[in-house]
Amino acid sequence: MSIEVVRPAPRTLAAVALLAALAASIDIHIGLDREAETERALSPVVYVTSGATLRRLSFGYQGLLADFYWTRAVQYFGRQKLSRGGDFRNLGQILLVTTELDPHLLIAYRFGAIFLAEKPPAGAGQPEEALALIRRGIAANPTYWRLWQDLGFIYYWDLKDYARAAAAFEEGSRRPGADLWMKTLAASVAAQGGELATSRLLWSDVYSHAGNASIRRSAAEHLAAIKAAEDIAQLDLRLDEFRRREGRPATSLADLVHSGMLPGQPSDPSGVRYGVGRNGKAVLGAGSHIDLRLAH
Amino acid sequence: MNRIAAIAVHTFKESVRERVLYTLVVFAMLMIGAGLILGSVSVGINEIALVNLGLSAISIFGLLIAVFIGISLVWKEVERRTLYNVLSKPVARAEFILGKYFGLVLTLAVNTAVMTAGFYLVLWCEKGRLTAADLAPLEAIYFILLELMLVVGVALLFSTMSSPALSAVFTLSLYVIGNLLSDLRGFGEQSGSAALRGLLRAVSLVLPDFGAFSDIAPAAHGELVAGWQVLSHSLYAVLYTAILLSATILIFERRDLR
Repeated sequence: MSIEVVRPAPRTLAAVALLAALAASIDIHIGLDREAETERALSPVVYVTSGATLRRLSFGYQGLLADFYWTRAVQYFGRQKLSRGGDFRNLGQILLVTTELDPHLLIAYRFGAIFLAEKPPAGAGQPEEALALIRRGIAANPTYWRLWQDLGFIYYWDLKDYARAAAAFEEGSRRPGADLWMKTLAASVAAQGGELATSRLLWSDVYSHAGNASIRRSAAEHLAAIKAAEDIAQLDLRLDEFRRREGRPATSLADLVHSGMLPGQPSDPSGVRYGVGRNGKAVLGAGSHIDLRLAH
Repeated sequence: MNRIAAIAVHTFKESVRERVLYTLVVFAMLMIGAGLILGSVSVGINEIALVNLGLSAISIFGLLIAVFIGISLVWKEVERRTLYNVLSKPVARAEFILGKYFGLVLTLAVNTAVMTAGFYLVLWCEKGRLTAADLAPLEAIYFILLELMLVVGVALLFSTMSSPALSAVFTLSLYVIGNLLSDLRGFGEQSGSAALRGLLRAVSLVLPDFGAFSDIAPAAHGELVAGWQVLSHSLYAVLYTAILLSATILIFERRDLR
């Protein structure tokens, strides 16, 4: 009896070898990716810091390069924001390169300024950098009135400089195509800077014109906080009146309802009922999702 | 005229048989389609990214086609000795060069039209409809075609006097320099030397200004170039191409083909 040895065909061997090589290369690739990710997280570096140099080297494709840089800015911001207590050091530089590559990329000025100006942990907390970015945007796009609105917004919201905010809104209202309410806003900020009603006006416009879900969500959170702050101010007035009328402080808002001063137990925009604190003032109820710091 | 047209049509047919052409067009289409992905991973630039990436793909792949087919146009005919067949007929060398040039320009025009159709298809997928404002990229595509006309002229010029590899290096080098002419002038102005300033200014005026045809970024923002600029760019491309073709014909007529 003879044993027949079946030799694998060379093609099968080659295919097996190729598959093994592919599997090994994928494994190595995953390892390299992991290493590169750690390195990236440790040192977020901007290799080319001059948009002018990149523009020269782009051979006419500077628009495409600006899109890549803007995408990088968005992803860098998102990554640092998610990391909590993130390092936003390079954000201004990436935005500078982006806007030097394409000075008409309006979204980079508008959203970039929000990324820079927002207080940590929501943003970089660099309102001065945001102002510089918007001012460069205005210089490159002098007729675009929305950048004046953004300038006023940063002065109003992040720097609490109501006079400059009013001046920016006023200046923007003179640009072609500016919405009429820019004039109203300028007057309102000049007369009642820091008032909740003025803040609501500002954030309502951000909410209705937000081109991005994250910005819209942020505006909605601010509007909810403003509404809660207004509700609490109103409830405090009623609580004071109750104390005067009854000669004792209310222990809960149910006291106000029973005395006919409130039609029912009011809830904040997140659906949680307001309460009364130990100092006799209205407070957010336990489990409320409202962040009152966003109202001011 | 008929002889030039016959050579041009033959060159076109020959070019469309090149496999590399289809590979490049497929890559261009993939890159145009990638505009949809770039827009979705970024914020607020869906349409801008699509136009930038689409027009850049048309330009980059058009450039590659112009260079890699342009450099071998004359060389291939000499290598295969088919040139002798052509020239043994009542065809002047100048007619041969002009026919080759127009044939490749026709190939590029057809390719660009195909890529433009692909680009507008992707744009329509992104927006759901197309409006009059979407015509702005067409102007940029016209500028790309003008630029490619010049590149073919340069590639043809080098291909009459050197090997395909060297012609590719020379053409691409001139393309790079032609994109940096304003910097060359700026460098001269900052140098402090009147002689260097004059020299660099003269060089920048003589070399083809490829940077002048860059209109992609404004098109992505829907900005249109003034009519007189379209006219002056067209005139510049035609005049410079005429110079390049004249030089090519002069060299080719003196070339010993034995």
